[in-house]
Amino acid sequence: MATIKAGSIRKGMYILFKNAPYLVTKTDFLSPGKGSALMRVKLKSVISSGTTDFSFKSNETVEEVDVSSMQMQYLYLDGDELVFMNSSTFEQLSVPIDLVGEQHKLLIEEQQIYVLMYDEKPIGVRLPDKMKLKVALAEDADGGNTVGQARKTVELETGLKILAPLFVRTGDTLIIDVATMSYISRG
Amino acid sequence: MQEKWQTLLVREALIDAVRLFFKSNSFHEVETPLLVECADPEPSIEPFSTSLIQASDSYRGYLTTSPEFSMKKLLARGSGNIFQICKSFRNAEPVSSRHNPEFTILEWYRVNANYKDIMADCENLFRFIAGYLEERELFVPIKCDLQSSWERISVSEAFQKYAGIDETTLHDQEKFKFRAVEKGYQVESQTTFQEVFDQILVNEIEPELGKSTPSILYDYLAPQAALAKKKSSDPRYAERFEFYINGIELGNAFSELTDSKEQLARFEAQNKVRHSEGRPEMKIDMDLVNSLDNLNQELGGIAVGVDRLVMLFSGIEDIRETLAFSARDVFSLDE
Repeated sequence: MATIKAGSIRKGMYILFKNAPYLVTKTDFLSPGKGSALMRVKLKSVISSGTTDFSFKSNETVEEVDVSSMQMQYLYLDGDELVFMNSSTFEQLSVPIDLVGEQHKLLIEEQQIYVLMYDEKPIGVRLPDKMKLKVALAEDADGGNTVGQARKTVELETGLKILAPLFVRTGDTLIIDVATMSYISRG
Repeated sequence: MQEKWQTLLVREALIDAVRLFFKSNSFHEVETPLLVECADPEPSIEPFSTSLIQASDSYRGYLTTSPEFSMKKLLARGSGNIFQICKSFRNAEPVSSRHNPEFTILEWYRVNANYKDIMADCENLFRFIAGYLEERELFVPIKCDLQSSWERISVSEAFQKYAGIDETTLHDQEKFKFRAVEKGYQVESQTTFQEVFDQILVNEIEPELGKSTPSILYDYLAPQAALAKKKSSDPRYAERFEFYINGIELGNAFSELTDSKEQLARFEAQNKVRHSEGRPEMKIDMDLVNSLDNLNQELGGIAVGVDRLVMLFSGIEDIRETLAFSARDVFSLDE
C-alpha cells in the first residue's frame, strides 16, 4: 500500500475508502466558492460492485491499494459466476459476473485472461482493448437499395449478437472493440 | 461536429436572450477592461499575469478574474443598473468538467437593491431564457421546475437539514471540525475550517440542492463574505447567496459591500493570506476603494457562469462540450 495525496488520484487506480477497496472510474476537480480545492471521484466497490461519489480535499491522504493480476484460463459460466483455472496449479476460482459486466459475453472458453486479485480474492478481470471472435452464424443479406453502411445482426461463437457489415459470413473472424462490444473489422 | 454545433446554437440564442432580458428591464450593457493593473487579491483565485510594454518600460498587468471592480467603478460614477457578458480568466485551477481557465461570465448590478432583489432577477431571467429557447425549439427539458417559486434555504438550515449540524456547532470552528471527524472526514492540524465546511457542503448538501425546483442557498458565514455586506440583523452572517440547479452551482450574489474602510481592510487581510502562502501580494485597487465612498445607495450584484448555463439548457454534463474550443483543444494538456 502506498499513501498518496487525493489530488493525485487518477482514473483506473484502486484506493481504500472507508476501509474497503474501490476502483476509481472518474475524477473531477472542484473549487467550490471561496478557498478549498476538492477532488471528486466516482468509485466502484471491488467487493459489491456498487458505486459511490465522494469529494476529498486535494491535500488529504488516501491509501492506494495494490491489486495484482494473475493469468488464468477461462473455463465456463456457472450461474452468475465465471470459473477460471490456474494452468500450472490447476486451482480454480470464480469471479461474479457483476464484477466483469456485459463484457463477460466476449469470453471464449479456454482463453487466457488476467484475473485481478486483492487480498487474495478475485475482484475482476482485465480484458484487452480488442478481441478476436469467430462468427457462429451470419445469414446472407443483400443491401438492396440501402445507401451508406448497411448492417445485419450476426451471432458470435460466445452467443453474443452484434451488428456487422453485410459481407460478414459464418466462420469469419472479427475484431471486436471490447469497451463498446462492437464490430471494428474482419480479422 | 453536429452535436457541438447544436450546442453552439444554444449558446448563441441563450446570450441573445440574456441581452434581451436585461435591456427590456432597463439595464445598460457595458464593456470594461479585461487587462488591468490591479487584480482581485482573493487568495483562492490566481489571475493570469502579463505585462504591458510601453517603449522601454514594462508594467505588470493581469487578465481579470471577473469584471466586478470596473463595473462597481461605473456604478459609483452614476451608471445606474448595468450588466456585462465577457470573458474572465482564472489560472491554476485544473481543467475539469466544470472548469475552463477562460470562461464567459455574466454579471449584473442593481442600484437601490439588495440580494433579495437579485434572487427575483434570477428566477425571472431563467424563465425568460427557457421561454426564448423553447420558442426556437432549442430547449432541452430540465428535470428541475423553473416556473414554480425557487427553494430558499439558508446555509445554517441546510447544514442542519442535510448534514445534521446545528447552528451552534456551525459557529464554533473546533466543535465543527470535531463533528466532521465523527462523520469520518480527515481533519489534520493544518486543515482549515473552510476546507471542512466546503467538503461537507459538496458531499452532503449540494447533491440535495436544485432537485425539484432551483435552490437558493443564502446567508453565508461572515468570514465567507468576500465582497458581501454583513447582515445588519445578525452580523454572524453575510448577505450572500449561491444558486443551484441539479446540484450544480450556477451563480454567486451579494448585497454588495459599499463601505470603503471595510473593503480596504478585507483586501489587506487577503494580501496577508497571500503573503503567508509565499505568493505575491496584489496592488490594491485604490480607485475602487475610493469609488465606494460615492455609492450612497444599496447595491445588489451577481456573477453567473454562462458556460454552465449552456450546460444546463443543453442537458450537457461537461463544460468542454459547450465551448467551440476548450483549453484541452488549444493546449496539449496531460490527462
